[in-house]
Amino acid sequence: MERVLVNIPSNPVFERVVRASADEIGHAIGLRPERIEDLKLAVSEAVNNAIEHGNRRQTTKLVEVVFALDPEKLEVRIRDEGEGVERTDFSRRVVEEHNLESGMHRGFGMYLISALVDDCEVSSSNQGTIMILRLYRKETNDD
Amino acid sequence: MTNNVIKREEFGDVAVLHIATTSVDAISAAAIEASCTAMRSITVLDFADVAFINSGGISALLKFVVTARKSGYKLFAMNVSPHHQKIFKIVEMSRFMPTIEERDLAAYR
Repeated sequence: MERVLVNIPSNPVFERVVRASADEIGHAIGLRPERIEDLKLAVSEAVNNAIEHGNRRQTTKLVEVVFALDPEKLEVRIRDEGEGVERTDFSRRVVEEHNLESGMHRGFGMYLISALVDDCEVSSSNQGTIMILRLYRKETNDD
Repeated sequence: MTNNVIKREEFGDVAVLHIATTSVDAISAAAIEASCTAMRSITVLDFADVAFINSGGISALLKFVVTARKSGYKLFAMNVSPHHQKIFKIVEMSRFMPTIEERDLAAYR
């Protein structure tokens, strides 16, 4: 297994660094361009979630991202140093009229992740939250 | 209001807001949102230069949707990549900001 490790402070501007890494790794392992875009967006959402809701933008706290490659899959592990979350909601979240009127314009990130990667999981404790995203390299006809 | 992130073009009732950043994300969101005041009765957001949109960017774009609905404006998206069309479809943004072709604007010029 090959691994790439990226650590960033909890400042949203550095999310772009992780995204650029995802782009390079996606190209390096020969993902289709559409899958690379899916990977970049899913990683972006997970990292922003770790910055905002995990580390609460405390720049002294790091977000650690590990890209682990094996012949079967690309696994991305995003870990924050926050106090943990009770649950993560991956349920369907779309733009709806009543949300527009009430000013609820956020919260699409987890649903996007679930829609874009092959599988994902979250574990959380008072030591932080870890989100794992997987993209399998052998694509099905549905992709 | 326009800024370095939004370049505005106007003809008749139409305002075309060219998004001049490659990333529509949490970093560019404030500058994009600020350009809501530059909307007209027909407003077109031009995504030709946009390579990436995430949920932070979608939140900014929804401010245009809200302003359009409150003001009775028509809001369209132009030059949206196939990937971003897919994302807009996943979150059902396309219901509120349909895409148009650049050639459809010719009648207004």
